[in-house]
This record gives sequence, C-alpha cells and structure tokens, in this order.
Amino acid sequence: MGIVLITLTLLLVSTISETRPISYPGGSTVMAFTDNLKDSLYYHYSPSYKYSIGLESLKHKVLEQDYSYVRFTYLLNRKNTQNSQRNLYFQSGVSLNGVNNHFYGVHGDWETRRWFSGFGYKQERREVEDYSEQFVQLGLAPYLGDYGDFHTWIMIKTKKNSLSGSWSTYPLLKFFKGDFLIEFGYNDKTKLDAHLMYRF
Amino acid sequence: MNKIFRAAFLIYCAFAVMVTYAESSDQHNGHIHETLVDGEKLEVDPELFGKFVEGLTKSQIAIVSVKGMVCDFCARGIEKTFRKDKTIQKINVDLSRGKVILAYSMDKEIVREEISHNILINGQNMTDLQVITIN
Repeated sequence: MGIVLITLTLLLVSTISETRPISYPGGSTVMAFTDNLKDSLYYHYSPSYKYSIGLESLKHKVLEQDYSYVRFTYLLNRKNTQNSQRNLYFQSGVSLNGVNNHFYGVHGDWETRRWFSGFGYKQERREVEDYSEQFVQLGLAPYLGDYGDFHTWIMIKTKKNSLSGSWSTYPLLKFFKGDFLIEFGYNDKTKLDAHLMYRF
Repeated sequence: MNKIFRAAFLIYCAFAVMVTYAESSDQHNGHIHETLVDGEKLEVDPELFGKFVEGLTKSQIAIVSVKGMVCDFCARGIEKTFRKDKTIQKINVDLSRGKVILAYSMDKEIVREEISHNILINGQNMTDLQVITIN
C-alpha cells in the first residue's frame, strides 16, 4: 500500500523545477538562465523560507524584447517526511515596463535523496503576445553524496510553450556543491538549456 | 508528449517503485545504532560522529533529528542559521540519517525549543534531540 501511495504521489506531483525558488531566511540567490525562449538574470532575497522577492532582467529571444520584472514567489505548501520533501509554489512577476506585462503560475517538486520530480506551469501576459510555458522534470541521483560533497543528478525534462506549440524532451545534468549549482541540457530543437545558481 | 518521453516516464516509474521499496526495506533493517558508555543509543553515523568529536573536549554534542532535510541545499540554510550562535563550536550534517550535529561549549544551556525554532525557520521539522557530553 505504501509503495502504491508513493508511486501515485510521484505520478501526481511530478511537474517545473526552478531549483529552490526560495532560500533560507536572510538568504540571497543569483540565477542565470538561458533556453530557446530567453536569457535571464534573476536575483532574489528570502526574508523567510515561505517567500522571496526579487528582480529579473530578461531578453526574450522570440518576441525580441527586453523586460525587467519585480518577482514574488510564495511557498503554498510543504510536506516534510523523514525521507522526502514536497513543495508547491506560487510564482508571479510584474514588469517595470508596465503592468500589462506580467506572469503568474505554479510549480512544485517532490524529492528524496535519490529521486526528484518537478513540474511547472506559467502564464505570460504580454502587450505583444500572451503565451504559456509548462514542463515536467524527473531525476535520479546516481550516487548519494554526503554533506559538502559534489552532488550529481541525471534528469529528463520535457517542456512546451504555446509559441512553439510542441513538446521538447531532452536529458539534463545537474551538479552542485556547497552554494553553487549548474544545470544544463541540450537538444537539436531547443538548443542549450542552462541554469547557474549561487546562494549567499 | 512524444514517444521518448513516454518511454522515459514509464522506466522512471518502474525504477521509482523498485528503489523506493529497496530503500524503505533498508531503513527497517539497517538502522545503525552504537551504544555509548552510559548505554544510550547513538543514532548517527558512528564514523562521521567519531571524526566530528576528534579534538573536542569539554563539549556538549547535540544530535538533532530533522524531517525534510533530503538534500545538501536544504541543510545549508540550517548550518548558516546555527553558525550565528557563537556558543556553537562545530557543525556537521549526516544527510543519510537526517541529523544535524552541533558541538556546544559546556557553559551553554541547550534548550530544545531554541534548536527546534532554528530548524523550523528553515522550513524543516525537528523530531528528536540527543545530547551527549564530551569530557
């Protein structure tokens, strides 16, 4: 029964992973992200583990426009168990270029030391064109490192945005040590998908 | 969703079931305990604990059991919170057993609620606390 419940949880909860969108209390995070849609630089500060506020500057490759956002992320729900953690986040952003440019969405993750699953859905409202993004990401840690070790995740990610209209699936590698994280993937269609993060 | 994703998803689910079962079986059968001089059970990796107490004298070691500390990133915030406490001499984490190990000076009064609060403000939960004195 336990196995069935765990499997169902895995299937139901799996969906985007913006790795740790909220830091520890008083913690700051800098993220750089690039994929086929955008190049982004994002800083956020977390007054508590429940929410973060931040600024994002991005260059939209498809719409060929630059945006700056004030962003807010809120932890809607967290479930801690001895061997797992599950999170559900609300994310939003309003552009400094005008409130007609904004986004909102949810993303969640469930992970153990060995397994990771994440999902996300984001609705983007733009003066030029509205669109949505969604993804599902699943991962496996090939070895279980101790605290402070170099950690590795092998992942598979599938994503879709309404501008391109089709799903793109590709492998990802995620590495982290201490406060540094790097994640990258590649396929012929979406090209490079890379994410760098530093927490301090 | 394309065929590659479907296939990968099915393989993932199959592995998830197998590994989850294997890992949960390990937890029931392979929980390591070491008995201390006073008969108390040590619920932390003995090797890690041995290295941690090397060179420590006249200290109190708090072994904190934490729920939800499943990754290095989760534990890092806990470490940074406790680092602000100047009575703490040393900190380490046993990720495999979900423990935070803290070395306090002898003059510090260890308050369970204070440690629990420091874990909670990081979004995790303390479930148990074991205090060992090193003379």
